[in-house]
Amino acid sequence: MTSSMLAAPTGVEYSEIRQHDLRKSRMVMIDGNLVANMQNSEGGVSARVFDKGYWGFASVPTQTALSIDQVTRRAVDNVQAMSRFGEKSSLAIPLDAQIGEFGFNGKTPLSQQEKVDLVEALNALCKRKYKGLKSSTFILHDEAHNKSLKTSNGADVLNTIRRAAVYMVMTVEDDRGEPIELMEAFSGKGSLAELDLSMDVLEGKLDRLYEHLQAKRHAVPARGGLQTVVLAPELAGMLAHEAMGHPCEADLVLGGSVTGNMVGKPVASELVTMIDFAHTYKGEECMIPVYADDEGSPGEDAVLIENGIMRHFMTSRETAARLGIPSTGNARAYTFNDEPLVRMRNTAILPGKDKLEEMIAGVEEGYYLMKSGNGQADSTSEFMFGIDLAYEIKNGKLGNAIKDTTVSGTAINMLRTVDAVSDDMVWECNGYCGKKQPMIVSSGGPALRGKAHLGGE
Amino acid sequence: MNIEQIAENALKQMKAAGFEQSQVSVGISRQDELNISLSDASLFRSTEDHGMSLKGIIDGRAASTSLTDLGEDTIAHEISGLFDRAQHSPQDDANAVSSGQTAQVVKGPQEPDLELMVEKVRELLEYRAAETPKMEIDEGNASYYDQHSLFLTSEGSSLESRTGAYGLMAMGTAREGEKSSSFAYAGGQTDDLSKAHAAAFFGIGDMLKETERQIDTRSFGGNLTGDVVLAPMAVEDLLGWLLGQLSDGQLIADSSVYKNKVGEQIASSLLTIKSRFHGPCNDGISGDGFVADDFTVVDQGKLLTLMPSLYGSRKTGIAHRPTAGGWEIVAGDTAKSDLTKGIEKGALVTRLSMGHPGPSGDFSGVIKNSFMIENGEIGPALTETMIAGNMGQMLKDIVAISAERLDDGSSQIPWMRFANVNYS
Repeated sequence: MTSSMLAAPTGVEYSEIRQHDLRKSRMVMIDGNLVANMQNSEGGVSARVFDKGYWGFASVPTQTALSIDQVTRRAVDNVQAMSRFGEKSSLAIPLDAQIGEFGFNGKTPLSQQEKVDLVEALNALCKRKYKGLKSSTFILHDEAHNKSLKTSNGADVLNTIRRAAVYMVMTVEDDRGEPIELMEAFSGKGSLAELDLSMDVLEGKLDRLYEHLQAKRHAVPARGGLQTVVLAPELAGMLAHEAMGHPCEADLVLGGSVTGNMVGKPVASELVTMIDFAHTYKGEECMIPVYADDEGSPGEDAVLIENGIMRHFMTSRETAARLGIPSTGNARAYTFNDEPLVRMRNTAILPGKDKLEEMIAGVEEGYYLMKSGNGQADSTSEFMFGIDLAYEIKNGKLGNAIKDTTVSGTAINMLRTVDAVSDDMVWECNGYCGKKQPMIVSSGGPALRGKAHLGGE
Repeated sequence: MNIEQIAENALKQMKAAGFEQSQVSVGISRQDELNISLSDASLFRSTEDHGMSLKGIIDGRAASTSLTDLGEDTIAHEISGLFDRAQHSPQDDANAVSSGQTAQVVKGPQEPDLELMVEKVRELLEYRAAETPKMEIDEGNASYYDQHSLFLTSEGSSLESRTGAYGLMAMGTAREGEKSSSFAYAGGQTDDLSKAHAAAFFGIGDMLKETERQIDTRSFGGNLTGDVVLAPMAVEDLLGWLLGQLSDGQLIADSSVYKNKVGEQIASSLLTIKSRFHGPCNDGISGDGFVADDFTVVDQGKLLTLMPSLYGSRKTGIAHRPTAGGWEIVAGDTAKSDLTKGIEKGALVTRLSMGHPGPSGDFSGVIKNSFMIENGEIGPALTETMIAGNMGQMLKDIVAISAERLDDGSSQIPWMRFANVNYS
């Protein structure tokens, strides 16, 4: 089916029709066993209409002229069925409309044989080189979204977003014979072919992972309570996404997020500036470029915090109308059968002027937090990250590794304590953000020094 | 759409392509969802989905694929690509498909009742407005979902199911002036949406009321090692960790702390865990194509079985244990209201915000939607409080299990009290 067959439903206040194909591949090797060798292909058409204050949505997994007609009629039927809930005042939703094709032309994707050769070579390397290794896992993952969208207000776009990720997990036993594991994940725009998967680079990453595991074998418990912490750039990116990003999503703001009353007020140290980039950072295309969102709105950068002051929120058409602010093009849907929700794109805390080494050297007693397994946050900006790799800092020097712990706090309180921001910047786009639907996003950040709660003894 | 014909044709094509063993699963599903946004009805969403999963094995080499376009040309193209990928995969004698399994399952409502769903959304909105006006339902829905699926293998397995269920869910925060609570949610599935008021399903009404009490919070105040009461949602984290240790990933990696513990006491004698694969919203068919008979995992603290899949079993030599969705922890004999008795200082924890504990079981997490317990009584809501411990040790440190359980349509989970948890 070509996008010329798409036509947004008529006879309603606003409508959109989207054709969306998603292809994913996943290969998992555990200790030389290929336990997953999977491809996934899904696609279909959806229509969404807005009328008299209600939305109607329908989707089918086929992409024919008949199916377009079918979802169009069903979406209109559905919005009419909502009249059962009574009359509702309508809403003047912003109608900015993007037109264009935003594709990705990258290298030829890796073949099946190349992928198998890669994970087998990594497995062989682990067996040969790393003494006492109990288990190793390698995961290769990539996914590609192709979306054609037309809206009743004239948007007509083709979006291609593609990302790849590699996960390497090593497990050893600690002094008590208990298993401990660490994961290295790296990711980027495009298919796996765009990542540097040379054995020299991968061996270097595995060497460092193994060194950290050896340190973790003798890990000591963290001291629980409020501590001075240096967050490595990977964690600062997660902080940007989880702890301040979600509370700045306009639907959560409307639902009572703590940020709702804080525009123009200080919410962080003046060293902190945080932006959700639509598609470009410093002249380079971001990992998840969104030139037009899934409502056809042009992607605009959302400056969330500027020199410590709360500035803006990320919006969809409806939430922008409800808050009376511009649309930023943050409405995104994960698959053809999902309706667009307010989602982040490329969320980052901007780098500062400090050197990471000097930030650590300036801590008399604290912790250097390096890797996180996952993170969650709340509309209150209270956050939690599981910490898989961290070291004590004593008198400005790194000490023992610490056992798995959790760092938590209220992001606004934590960001107010930030007294140093490093001059480096690390982006990643592995994993998924969860909010009714999964979503691929990127996050970035420099190292931050501040105070947060650590779980421990 | 004739899924029998599609599945049988695909199986024939895979054989013709050269696969020695093949597995085909075809499903069609539909969902109707009445959504709530910001405590108001907002969206009616209808989706129809088709899905096919194919797995082929040649000379011990396996590959799999899934697709939503069930057109003949697409399927033929996918099978061709699948064969190519399988040929370039490592040989592994553990690869196999199920054989000789047969089942026909029909469960739940087979058609949606839109008016009933409208009624439940209205009940939920009216309950919120009347009983918990400070609570904002950011997101909620009443939904209907049905699926017709067929699973065939070249080794004679044929498993068909037609399942339907309603869902009800609410998530939101409570607000008063500029103060707001943490977000909270409750929901589940049922085969009979008419049997109760919307607020009575899945603890939704209790969640709305409790969240209003979480607008004002206090910190726990100091470090302490003591008792904690976990509500069902938090207990599920503990259950999920244990079941993960008994399953493929940890067994194949030889990192499960329970691999050699079958027949041993791994938990308090108060704990009994059973499968509930044939509950009202569960079809009892495992992902690898077996009829999953119900069994007891832990009986009065004693581990009775590990749970590898067919592949995991052939890989590790441990007996295959087909598993499907749904578990239950057997109710205890302590009233829920008595679980806090005797706790000088502790917490009632509804939700744990934490990472995925590794095989060691060490964890620490922020407690959410939780309340202080002082002198045996439930007190104010807590903020910025963490608990830490070890999952395996917690199973041994169970003090009491409630007689009441929360049933989300899939699992039945009680409230549980544990000793020796670290607060900070």
